[in-house]
Amino acid sequence: MTVPGKEAELLTRVVSGDRDAFDAVMRNHEDRVFSVCLRILGDREKALDATQETFLTVFRKAGQFQGRSAVGTWIYRIAVNTCYDQLRRAKRRPSESLPEHVDPSDPSAEEAIESAALRPEIEAALAELPPDFRNAVVLSDLEGLSLPEAAEILGVPIGTVKSRVFRGRRLLAKQLGNQIDQ
Amino acid sequence: MHDHPLDLIAAFADGSLSDEAEARALVESCPECREEYRTQTEVIGWLAATPTAEMTDLEKAALHRDLWTEFRRQPGKSPATPWWQRLAYVAAGLFVTVGLVSVLNNDTLNGGADSGANTTADGAFDAPTEETPFVAQGSDDGESAPEMTTETTAAATATTAAAGAGGEESFALPFAELAEEARANQADRALTEGTDRDVEACMARVALDEHVVVDEIDLDQIYLLVMPADPEAEPIVTFVVLPRCEIVYVG
Repeated sequence: MTVPGKEAELLTRVVSGDRDAFDAVMRNHEDRVFSVCLRILGDREKALDATQETFLTVFRKAGQFQGRSAVGTWIYRIAVNTCYDQLRRAKRRPSESLPEHVDPSDPSAEEAIESAALRPEIEAALAELPPDFRNAVVLSDLEGLSLPEAAEILGVPIGTVKSRVFRGRRLLAKQLGNQIDQ
Repeated sequence: MHDHPLDLIAAFADGSLSDEAEARALVESCPECREEYRTQTEVIGWLAATPTAEMTDLEKAALHRDLWTEFRRQPGKSPATPWWQRLAYVAAGLFVTVGLVSVLNNDTLNGGADSGANTTADGAFDAPTEETPFVAQGSDDGESAPEMTTETTAAATATTAAAGAGGEESFALPFAELAEEARANQADRALTEGTDRDVEACMARVALDEHVVVDEIDLDQIYLLVMPADPEAEPIVTFVVLPRCEIVYVG
């Protein structure tokens, strides 16, 4: 794990165009960013797009980082906002998602997709949650972030995140109960 | 159920309470609270059992490639020059100055030689040497070296001069500089006559031949286009991850 001060220093170097620093920041956080995006968006292609967009924003806005939070928290906040933007755009232009497929030339693809897959019923139930609840549950229960971290990423008070997580779990259970009944 | 008990019970379920006595008492005494606790615990367990989603190697490689491409396109963002390279430029400048002074002194002593002849400094830039074969690429083509190459040439020349002065063996440019230079000079020539042994060994394994064209180089990867025999078919994008000399086909 990268020491927080070191990460802030890396961002400063990114501002001056240091590619090694940008590479380090990207590799430190790309897995978590992708995971968050995938859980929020529920679609692999969209999650990859959102991941790329996140790091482009990180690069462009590195100079605006003020050090009030950890670099990781700042990046994940950008990721969540990027996903929000994608969801809003999708609402305005609904389109059918292409089915997930495994690239035959990529030996690691099948394993990665299988290991990342939620049980279908959980995935469906998560997708049904209101975005605010879904994001809170994803960050807290799927990504294992603390409530203060999740609150910072979502830009809301801790109490609000707590409430969203707790209610989100309850809604999930209700959704799952409905699916089982069906 | 009121909000307060829900918060308490949910926090009890995910283990975030410092004092669990009140919550435990509620769960034991209140059926609704007990049901809520069960629901929260169940959902937490389902979600916690899911591993972190990961990108495949190909997806990561494509992400890095796209980000690097975008990184290079950003205006006003030039790579930071390492201190040792700035020092090399200063040394090169001094070397050129000393060389010019020496030539001018010789010219004066010899009664004004042809000022159009290559000076020592120009000769050092133009003449390929064994120590700086990469520098020779631009010279061999008869083209004037681009500014970046000139600067790198100066650095290389200074380095070589310093090495020579110290009696040490000359050395090839490290790969990072090779990659930087190659990117500025349209990579092909750098690789076909590569100076870095690691790059050469790796490319030998890739079996670089006339059907393979270097598209881009960055610090970690060399992007290649494999030209299919059918001229109508699209080239296949391939890249070599250099630290492991691993070939990845993008398609």
